[in-house]
Amino acid sequence: MPKCTIDGKEIEFSAGENLVKVAKKGGIEIPVFCYHPGLSVVAQCRMCLVEIEKMPKLQTACSTPAADGMIVRTQADSAVKARAATMEFLLLNHPLDCPICDKAGECDLQDNSFGHGSPSMRSTEERRTYVDVDMGPVIQKNMNRCIHCTRCIRFGEEVAGIHEMVAVKRGNNLDITTIDGKQLKTEYAGNYSDICPTGSLTLKDFRFQKRAWMLKKTDTVCEGCSKGCNMEIQQEGNKVYRCVPRENLEINRYWMCDEGRFNYHYTQDPLRITRLKGSAFSPTPHWDEVGMAFKKLANGATVQILIGTDLTLEEMQAIIDFAKTQLPEAKLFHFGTPGVRRTTEDGPLDQILKMKSKTANLNGAELLGLSPLETEIVKAESVVVFRGGRAALPKIDSKNIIGVGVFKESEASGFNMILPSLAFTEKNGTIVNHQGKSQLLKRAVLPVGQCKPLPEILMLVLNAKKREGAGT
Amino acid sequence: MLATRKPGFLNRFYLVEIIQGLAITLRNLLFHKKVTLQFPEQRRDYSPRYRGQHYIKAVNGVENCTACMLCPTVCPAECIHIVAGEREDKEKYPVKFEIDVLRCCFCGMCEEACPKDAIKLSNIYEMSQEKRSVYVKDFLVEQRGNKP
Repeated sequence: MPKCTIDGKEIEFSAGENLVKVAKKGGIEIPVFCYHPGLSVVAQCRMCLVEIEKMPKLQTACSTPAADGMIVRTQADSAVKARAATMEFLLLNHPLDCPICDKAGECDLQDNSFGHGSPSMRSTEERRTYVDVDMGPVIQKNMNRCIHCTRCIRFGEEVAGIHEMVAVKRGNNLDITTIDGKQLKTEYAGNYSDICPTGSLTLKDFRFQKRAWMLKKTDTVCEGCSKGCNMEIQQEGNKVYRCVPRENLEINRYWMCDEGRFNYHYTQDPLRITRLKGSAFSPTPHWDEVGMAFKKLANGATVQILIGTDLTLEEMQAIIDFAKTQLPEAKLFHFGTPGVRRTTEDGPLDQILKMKSKTANLNGAELLGLSPLETEIVKAESVVVFRGGRAALPKIDSKNIIGVGVFKESEASGFNMILPSLAFTEKNGTIVNHQGKSQLLKRAVLPVGQCKPLPEILMLVLNAKKREGAGT
Repeated sequence: MLATRKPGFLNRFYLVEIIQGLAITLRNLLFHKKVTLQFPEQRRDYSPRYRGQHYIKAVNGVENCTACMLCPTVCPAECIHIVAGEREDKEKYPVKFEIDVLRCCFCGMCEEACPKDAIKLSNIYEMSQEKRSVYVKDFLVEQRGNKP
C-alpha cells in the first residue's frame, strides 16, 4: 500500500483518497467547512490549506489526492497563518449570536474558530444582514449566519435529487436561497440542518428546545422502514428531543429521511396509551389482574395472534414460544404495511433511502417462519395483536380483542384490553433490514406510565395460569 | 521524657491569669465599639460583590436574558430551569425562568457565565419565606436590589 507522511506520521492509504480522509485515519484533524465525505469536493472554503513539500503554494487538503511519498505539514507556519486568515474572513460577516443559535455546541464554525481563529476581531464594519425566506415546515433559515460553503446546494443536487437551493448574486452579496423563494419539497430536508456547518439551516422541530451539549446520545437504528438507517437518539430527562443519522456506508451513508427523523414523536404522543385499559379490567387496573383477564379473553374457539413486523426478533420469538405452549390452537400471522406482505413485495420507494415496507423487521418476521396476514379483515373469536407502534392495524372483526404494545387512543377504540408495552426508543433488541443485516436497537429512554417489556407481559400471563392450576 | 513543671502553691489558684482575662473583657466592654447591630433599624453595609437574591437585568422593560441556557449548564446545584421561546420583538427569550432557591448555593457561577449580563445576584440577604420558594420570571425581572 502506498504511504504518505502527514505531520511526521507515516499513514497508509488506498489510491484516490484525499488528504483530509488520510489524515483522519492517522488521527490528525484537518479543519473543513465545505468538504463533506458524502458530497462532491469544491474546495472553496479554503479552511483545509496545508503545506505539501515540493509544491510552491499551499494546497487544499480536501481536493488533493494523497500520493506515495508525499510529505504534508498541517502545522507549518504558512498553513497555520492561512487558516487563521480564512477564519477571520469567514467571521467578518458572521453574527455573534451563539447564545440564541441552535447550532451552538455542535457548530463547525465555533469549533474551528476556537481551534484555528484569533480571539479578537479587527473589523469594525457593520455586518451584512438578510431577510429570510420561509423554507417550509422542516428547516428554519437564518442567512446572516451563512458562510457560503454550498454544502446544502450540493446535497440537494447530488443526494436528494432535487435542485432546489441556489446561490444568487455574487461576492459579498451572495444569497443562498431556494429557487424563487419556494418552500423545500424534498423529503430529506432534515439533512440540510445536519450538514450545515453553521446555524444557518436548523430544524424547526428542534428550535429552542434544548442546547446541543445537554443532550445524551444513544446509537440506535431507525424503525421507520425496512432500510434500517443508523441513527442517534438524543434525549434529556427521559424525553427524546431529536434523532440524527449516523454514518453507515453500507446502508444509509450519512443521511436519513424526514419520516424516520421525526418518527419518534409518536412515542411521546399524549394520546399514546401508557396505562392498562379496557372493559376487562377494574376501574383502577393493575398488572396483577392481567394474567387472568388475558386468559379469559384469549379463550375463544378460534384464536388468531397478529404479530406486527415492527417488533424486534427477540419479542417475536417470545410470542411464538408463548403461543406454542399456551395457545397451541392459535394461528400466527405477521402484519405491517398494507400491500407489502412479503419481502419479495418490498422494494425501494425512491432512489435514495425510503423503502415500501413501513416497518423495520419484515425480513426478521420471515426469518422466524411467520406467515403474512393475507385477508383484509381478521375474523376470529379472539384476536391478540402485538404491535410495536408503526405497523398498520388491519380491520378486526372479533368480540375479544387484546392489544399488546403501543397504541393510540383512536386506533384502539374497539379493543377489549390494552396492555401497554415499549416503543422502539425504550427497548433493546435486534431488527433485520431488507439486506438481511441484523442491527441493534438500543434503549435511549426509560418506559413511561405502566408500560412493561413484552416478554415480561407474556411471563405474567404464563404465571397466572400456573397459579390457577395450583389452586384447583 | 517530658519535663513537667509543678506550679507553686499560689499559682495553683490562677489568680493572675483570671485578672488578666477579666482586664481584656473590661477593656473591650468599655473602650471598644460594639459589634452587635440593632438589626431591623440598623443595617450592615455589604460589599457590592456580595451574592444574595437573584434578579434578571432588564433594559426598558425587556429582559436581557436570551435563554442561552449557559446558567443551567454551569449551575452546580442544577437549580435553574429555563424554557425558551420566540416572540415578535425578540428572537429567543425565556418563556419560563425559574430558580429553585432552596437548592441554590449562591456560588455566583450563573452570573459569571452569563454572556448577556442578565442574571445577577443582588445585595439582598433577607430571603426567608414561609413557603418553599421558587423564584419565577416575573419576580426575577422586578429589578429589586439593582446593582450599580
